[in-house]
Amino acid sequence: MGWFDATFKTFGITLKNLFRKPSTVEFPAVQRERAERYRAASFALLHDENGEEKCIGCKFCEWICPSQIIAITATPKRESPFTGKKRGYAEDFTINLQACIVCELCIQVCPEDAIVMTRDTEQPGFSREDLVLTMDKLYANEKTTRLSWHTGAGLMEMQNPQRGQEKPAAAGAEDKPA
Amino acid sequence: MSELMLNPWIRALFWGLVMITGVMTVTAWSTWFERKFAGRMQSRMGPTLVGPLGLLQPIADACKLLQKEDLVPDSADRALFNLAPVLTVGFAMGVAAVVPFTPTMLAADLDVGVLWLLALSGLMVFPTWMGSWASNNKYSLIAAMRAVAQGISYEVPMVLAIMVPVIMTGTLSLSDMVADQQKNGWLIYRLPLTGLIAFVIFFLASLAEANRIPFDIPEAESELVAGPTTEYTGMKFGLFYMAEYIHTLLSSAICAAVFFGGWDGPIAPGLHWMLLKSVILFVFLTWVRWSFLRLRSDQLMNLCWKYAVPATLALIPVTAFYTVYAAGKGGV
Amino acid sequence: MTAIARARAPRPDPFLDIDSYDPEADLMVMNLGPQHPSTHGVFRVLLYLDGEIIIKAVPYPGYLHRGVEKLCEKLTYAQITPIVDKNDYVAPMLNEQAVNMAFEKMLGVEVPPRALHMRTLLAEIQRVASHLLWLGTFAMDLGGALGGGTSVFMYCFREREAILDLFEKLTGCRFHYNTHTVGGQRHDIPAGWAAEVHRVLGAISDRIDEYEAMLSHPIFLKRTKGVGVIDAQLALELGLTGPLLRASGVDHDLRRDAPYHIYDQIKDLKVAVESDGDCLARYKVRVVELRESIRISRLLVDNVPEGPICGGRPIKQPGQFKAKAGQVYVGIETPRGELGTYLIAGGGKMGDTPYRLKIRPPSLHALAVVPYVFPGHSVSDAVAILGSLDPIMGEVDR
Repeated sequence: MGWFDATFKTFGITLKNLFRKPSTVEFPAVQRERAERYRAASFALLHDENGEEKCIGCKFCEWICPSQIIAITATPKRESPFTGKKRGYAEDFTINLQACIVCELCIQVCPEDAIVMTRDTEQPGFSREDLVLTMDKLYANEKTTRLSWHTGAGLMEMQNPQRGQEKPAAAGAEDKPA
Repeated sequence: MSELMLNPWIRALFWGLVMITGVMTVTAWSTWFERKFAGRMQSRMGPTLVGPLGLLQPIADACKLLQKEDLVPDSADRALFNLAPVLTVGFAMGVAAVVPFTPTMLAADLDVGVLWLLALSGLMVFPTWMGSWASNNKYSLIAAMRAVAQGISYEVPMVLAIMVPVIMTGTLSLSDMVADQQKNGWLIYRLPLTGLIAFVIFFLASLAEANRIPFDIPEAESELVAGPTTEYTGMKFGLFYMAEYIHTLLSSAICAAVFFGGWDGPIAPGLHWMLLKSVILFVFLTWVRWSFLRLRSDQLMNLCWKYAVPATLALIPVTAFYTVYAAGKGGV
Repeated sequence: MTAIARARAPRPDPFLDIDSYDPEADLMVMNLGPQHPSTHGVFRVLLYLDGEIIIKAVPYPGYLHRGVEKLCEKLTYAQITPIVDKNDYVAPMLNEQAVNMAFEKMLGVEVPPRALHMRTLLAEIQRVASHLLWLGTFAMDLGGALGGGTSVFMYCFREREAILDLFEKLTGCRFHYNTHTVGGQRHDIPAGWAAEVHRVLGAISDRIDEYEAMLSHPIFLKRTKGVGVIDAQLALELGLTGPLLRASGVDHDLRRDAPYHIYDQIKDLKVAVESDGDCLARYKVRVVELRESIRISRLLVDNVPEGPICGGRPIKQPGQFKAKAGQVYVGIETPRGELGTYLIAGGGKMGDTPYRLKIRPPSLHALAVVPYVFPGHSVSDAVAILGSLDPIMGEVDR
């Protein structure tokens, strides 16, 4: 291309883009809808239908975490007031978000679906303590934030090696390929 | 009032103040315009938060720059380092004195307005060089050498290109030039059409003088960090930035006056036409800036000495012969 | 010696002592980086300048060293995937694939066809995103942060954002996905994703025409043509791979020459080869690859087979994978070239962690050309050459 038509073509392209819709939004005021599976780096601990803590203090998440940011103090097994079965409890549960790499492995390994990630994007803090999720904050997150789609059982179901061979319909419409 | 205005000192003082205030204000909002324009061109929003449509952004920027710590590097030459930003704005503003907005709205109706204009834009190189040299920084040093080479080289086609309007109108005064165009038609389309070519070259040369892309070799951010302004902080950097915009705006105004008939136009008063033409040229400059990549400095020199200078050298005799020929026939 | 004479003189060995270049010590020494707008991270080149002409260039990588390989020796096989994501942060998908392929080979885990298909698809989509980012940053290196280069940069990022949205829909993360696991994938394709892929990639392939038109301007050609020529001999000696090698005239692509995943089923894979070896050739190769990857992805996304996505047992415990002693090497074609993973497994008591995990990053080899190619060019060209090498410092320094 010569100088002239190349120059005019460039002008044309920038002009065309001048009239395209902006691809950005005014962030704090407008927030884009995140994908359904979006996982943000904040966590919540859940209660079961009886209102009892789901976490049994098995420490799987503490072991799997690549950044080693989870610290759990487990209690000895005792009888559950609701079901009467013997089960463990977490006495203390801390997640230090400053080093979280959002790998989702803690959710993957949880046998009780006790820990999930949240979908709310912002978690800024004015001090380092704000980024340390204590047990109280984790249980508060269950009520106050939108929870992510992922749970341990859901992920296990999705990755089941026998899937599609025994019960083709069980995967659920959501996981089906389009 | 009118008798008072006949006194050249009072007239210069009055219009000088008006010009400085006007140019400063317009400069501030031209940065807003450029940011908004570039933002929309790049599928972004541009400034939105400060004031409606982000219109108060220039004020916020100025406040921010004023609050910045004023750093002078230890090994810098303090006097020259501090002098450079002031001089660059001074020289850039000085050009405003001869820009004819209307026959009366003119700070100094110099008989040699064109010379004043060329002299000041030639001087623009020195503050850049001074500041870069004084900052004692290697990026700045390379930038300074590039700026001097580029500034001095592009001075030549600029001077030669503006000779074409001078020959065609037979005057060195910018207001007489506009008056002549009002009578005999704008230079951009007046025969033998050398005005058009001269305009293109003059425009490119003033782009190069103002360090605008595609000629922003001295300030090449991706190569030399920030070029001459690498070590400057706060409002001193702001002054360099402002000088660039003032220079760009006044270049558009001068092109509008010299080649597009200045205040000449139907219906509306002259000032409107002059401002409209200048604004259109400024928008075009902005458009150029956000559309093109940058040349390398040796390629830029090639463009100047191998194409622009010979072209303008050829333009001058053609224009001169045609003007004499047309005058002989009884028309201009 | 004048600058011109020096530039025309035969090039001395780049590893000679500086005194043999500059006996009078009249060269200017300038640091390009580590804090510099166009070193693509923290990379430092020491330049010996005569005027603006580079006489000698000494690269100093290592500012982003994080000890990833050592860290991997302490982590179990299940935990390594999210860590290597951070190596090549422009194409994390392919990093995950590389280590997981090595682990699967070592542990003998079979990957189901659906997962292989998905891996191929994700790799190609990631290649589009990576090349888009390269195109934008290359234009910005040439055109400045305040000019036309930024316009191309912003356009490329706009399209890349759409691709990251696709990944977010699939994996929940825009960047460090952790979606691969030993034996397959962790996330299955959600409903409606294929249609999204078609929409996004269709839009991008239209827009690429625009960028190509914008970048075929004579200014761009002047800046890139004949600049930074790497001949085939040098490229082979330094171990260049990927687009850089193909731009130097060597027809080599692991996707075709040593097929993995399901690349052997893609019969008409077009491999772009240019012979000039300059910045323009590298640009051309990458643009052809961009289009080819879009084409392949659109083909693949329609034919994803049914079935499970994970072959082995899904991760449920930290130390569930036990490897016998042995070693494997796996090389895959990332947007920057051959990403090799060399794994030595300890076996026995050390069976759940690698004994040694060596990553061969393509960008490190790309940066090896700096001392050979920079001399004789100006500082402006150095920035253009560095941009055209597409180095990602995360994987160079690890």
